[in-house]
Amino acid sequence: MTFVTRLKDVAARSPWLYRINAGSCNGCDVELATTALIPRYDVERLGCVYCGSPRHADIVLITGPLTRHVLAAAQRVFAEIPDPKVTVAVGVCPITGGIFRESYAICAPIDQYFPVDVNVPGCPPRPPAIIEGVAKAIAIWRQRL
Amino acid sequence: MTSQLPILVAALVFPGGVFALALGLALKGADRRLAARLQGRVGPPLAQPFFDIVKLGFKRTMAPDVACAPVFFGAPLIGAASMLLAMTLVPIAGVYAPGPIGGDLLVLIYLLAVPGVALMLAGSSSGSPYGAIGFSREMAMMLAYEGPIVLIVAAVALRVGLATGEGPTFSLSAIAAYQQEHGALLFDPVMWPAVVAFVFFYPANLGIVPFDIPEAETEVLEGPLLEYSGRPLALFKVMSALKAVVVLGLGVALFIPLPFTGALGLIGWLVELLALALIGVTAVRVGAGRMRIDQAFVFFLKWPLALALASLLAAAYFSAGGAS
Repeated sequence: MTFVTRLKDVAARSPWLYRINAGSCNGCDVELATTALIPRYDVERLGCVYCGSPRHADIVLITGPLTRHVLAAAQRVFAEIPDPKVTVAVGVCPITGGIFRESYAICAPIDQYFPVDVNVPGCPPRPPAIIEGVAKAIAIWRQRL
Repeated sequence: MTSQLPILVAALVFPGGVFALALGLALKGADRRLAARLQGRVGPPLAQPFFDIVKLGFKRTMAPDVACAPVFFGAPLIGAASMLLAMTLVPIAGVYAPGPIGGDLLVLIYLLAVPGVALMLAGSSSGSPYGAIGFSREMAMMLAYEGPIVLIVAAVALRVGLATGEGPTFSLSAIAAYQQEHGALLFDPVMWPAVVAFVFFYPANLGIVPFDIPEAETEVLEGPLLEYSGRPLALFKVMSALKAVVVLGLGVALFIPLPFTGALGLIGWLVELLALALIGVTAVRVGAGRMRIDQAFVFFLKWPLALALASLLAAAYFSAGGAS
């Protein structure tokens, strides 16, 4: 038992990230791709890398208010991510709909459709907030391993 | 000079198997760490590739409905097994010499092609269009770099064979032993074009920027690996870690085996491998962008092929003239 627990502790140090842009304005995506998670704030310290394929992902970062047009596609991609996985909603749009909240074309809040584990509010969220969200997601992911 | 190990020990413990895997993953960790430092980041722990492999073991394994399952799950096994075997063929100068049949360069060249074929099988059996694109790109890359490596090997074999007066020798341990005695081929002007060609060859064979075209994440979403998850993906990671050791070890054996034996020889070999990986792989990968497949294809058929051919002709001419 203890050996497996140790292995799981080791495994939890390698969370791979995958982004789903569910109709985002790209503000949060810019924060994710270029500010928070790559050069300056470096989440590779936590073992995170971006992966191109949902099949390789452990932590899913969803941005945007989930437009009706993208709903089915986003759900399909989400289903392709192998368990165990953790979902992080990045930005205020997936949480409440943000500036799009009155629109007929969106399905926010996204927790009607996805099991959201961590919310990172902001428009866009500050990079330290995103990193804190990822760190919390890693803790949850360790429980699920 | 060196003791012969049973092939099973050689494949599973040293220098293949456990040893090569640990070394390959450590090289990968050093590569990621140095890349991060060059970009002004802290970077992951050195053992990060180990964590990744362990993690993949805990993930669920999925296969697409349209995939041809036996090929889809067989490809990573074939690829990793071929590299375990290939590792037994690479001599470590003064430490390990493969047996007379095992030490054959031509067998090694064939085995080196197997991971590429495994990736092609993986991409084409996954049923994904991105996998199919990765398959076609992998095939184009193989066509481009297989020619130069064969010529490089032929040039080295001819040079050593004519120098010893026994005709071309394709025994890698004989080549390494010759260099231990007469100085490394790296310092032989006739071999310089071949060395340059090899420097172009190994990033392409290892699938590293600027030649990571078949697995480009931003274009074809990791191509052949797109549909893999869990343990088969871990096997592919193992395969590429082993392949790095095999290809770098081949480079060391061909051009710069150290004239030491025993522990000193092993440490020197590890240092050489690390230097090759950090200078030839990391520095290039951080500093260069990705080529397009047509650019890479033309590039390989132009420069490395010409350089390797120049070395081969020079080796034949100068040895025949008795100049060596």
